[in-house]
Amino acid sequence: MTKYVIRRIFSGLLTALIVFTLNFIIIKAAPGDPIKTLMGKDTNDPVLRAALEEKWGLNEPEYVQYFNYLTNALRGDLGTSIIYNQSVASMIGSRWGPTVLLGLVAAILALLIGTFLGIFAAQHEGGIMDGLFSMVSYALDAMPPFWLGLMLMIVFASRLGWLPTNGMTDVRAGYTGFAYVLDVARHMVLPCLTLTLVSIPGYFRIAKSSVLQVSNEDFITTLRATGMSERKIFDKYIFRNAILPTITLFGITMAFLITGITLIEIVFSWPGMGRLTMTAINQRDYPALMGIYLVVAICVSVVMIIVDIVYALFDPRIRYD
Amino acid sequence: MGSKKYRGLARMKEAFFLDGQFRAGVIGIIILLIIVVAAPLLATHNPYEYGPDNLVAPGVNGHWLGTNHMGQDVYSMIIYGVRTSLQVALISSLISGVLGILVGGIAGYFGGKVDLVISEVINAFLMIPTFFLILLIVALFGNSITNVMIVIGITSWPGNAKLMRAQALSLRERTFVKSAIAMGETRMQIMFKYILPNGVFPVVANTTRGMAGAILTEAGLSFLGLGDPSIISWGQMIYAGQDYITVGWWVSAFGGVAIILTVIVFYLLGDGLNHVLNPKYSFDKGGK
Repeated sequence: MTKYVIRRIFSGLLTALIVFTLNFIIIKAAPGDPIKTLMGKDTNDPVLRAALEEKWGLNEPEYVQYFNYLTNALRGDLGTSIIYNQSVASMIGSRWGPTVLLGLVAAILALLIGTFLGIFAAQHEGGIMDGLFSMVSYALDAMPPFWLGLMLMIVFASRLGWLPTNGMTDVRAGYTGFAYVLDVARHMVLPCLTLTLVSIPGYFRIAKSSVLQVSNEDFITTLRATGMSERKIFDKYIFRNAILPTITLFGITMAFLITGITLIEIVFSWPGMGRLTMTAINQRDYPALMGIYLVVAICVSVVMIIVDIVYALFDPRIRYD
Repeated sequence: MGSKKYRGLARMKEAFFLDGQFRAGVIGIIILLIIVVAAPLLATHNPYEYGPDNLVAPGVNGHWLGTNHMGQDVYSMIIYGVRTSLQVALISSLISGVLGILVGGIAGYFGGKVDLVISEVINAFLMIPTFFLILLIVALFGNSITNVMIVIGITSWPGNAKLMRAQALSLRERTFVKSAIAMGETRMQIMFKYILPNGVFPVVANTTRGMAGAILTEAGLSFLGLGDPSIISWGQMIYAGQDYITVGWWVSAFGGVAIILTVIVFYLLGDGLNHVLNPKYSFDKGGK
């Protein structure tokens, strides 16, 4: 087990390093000269250029620059936003809360609903409900999440007026205490519904196929032959074995959610990392973009490692592989 | 090889008549290709032209699906948008397919340390959130459709590489490869003559699903304002319609419907191909 954990952590570190290197290569290869931008268009004084290069460490050889970038990031310094003149780390720090809230609630809802429907469909394989669920899941899988969000907004917010269209709270109302929680919940319904709906197909498919697969295994047939009740076989043997792949999917969905969230947050003006990304894109705030990418990539790999280790705890076949 | 190919064709034919998903996918793709070729005949207006009717509802003044805020005809834009979507799907998945096949093939066939290093890199790349990477590159290097296609291609190869690696691993143990080694053929010859052509089918099925992914990614980029402004794209229609959803829902709505239908066609085709390629799958029992 220890060996497995060490190996997973090693792959995680490697991923972080690759992301890091990609970031460095991208910024180096990108068109545009940062010194020129700093000096202004009309100035072309070699002394000023040398001084600026000295100040930002751009006169060093490439590998030294890379190393500096790496050590800075390890110290938690992700650079400074060129638009807000604020450290990127603190900008992300003040924005991650709403994103995690939205993402986690949606991921858990999708896990529960998708798995439940998948198991149901497997137990009634070939039935009307199975066909219906499979079709809906196919269609949901093909939907651009941001489009679904817009459509839900048109129906439930613009037309019916049941729910607010944007933001996380009603700024004018200034609720406190329980009323505040309720207000956030009301604002969360549509973005959360959108994210849950687009994440359900994954769980549905994996739950359905793994229940079907486990049901056809020899040991289940043997149990049936002993005369054990179907219910007991399902609860005790099929369910436990079939639920395992869902854990892995949970990790992958979390990673996917982060990209999905970005677009959904923009649709509903949810004040999280997605909005931060959008502003950074619109204002061409590259340091902010790179910082966000780095943080997101590292979060994803950490989640995936945790998920893999949890999986290995449940399923010894993985550890001994 | 000859008999194998023949069997493959026969199986495809069998699949077309017996496997609903495969049939629907093939018919869907044919319809899409017809729209690509016949777009000027099918469209009622010039999609690039800014007409006098701004934001008119579907059915008004001969605009079947209405117009957007610039007076462009939504129906004609959707017809022309098929070209963009298929182009993105095809070119980006071609790039990701070729990269995946080469990297995976080398890892699986050469094995040993080479495989260890490449596999580790593939796994690491699989963990990277690609959409963010694509977004970053497009934002920095410019949002021409060529850039978008290339970037989607070079970021989506790891899945293909993983599949190809597994194929190469099993192929190199097969007798016909071993006899080629005994005949003294070089590693490169074996790789390109035996391993790659024989292992490529699962990658093709996966790439078909990848095409759907590419279409969704392009739409996502367009929605962030990172689409190519000089072309007609469904993602950009949704993006542009977003500001007018209270007064003109049709601008965003129909663009999305077009994306969903196209993506479903590629899903059906991909799943159908998987059934065709899986020798254990029997069509007459609906896959059991």
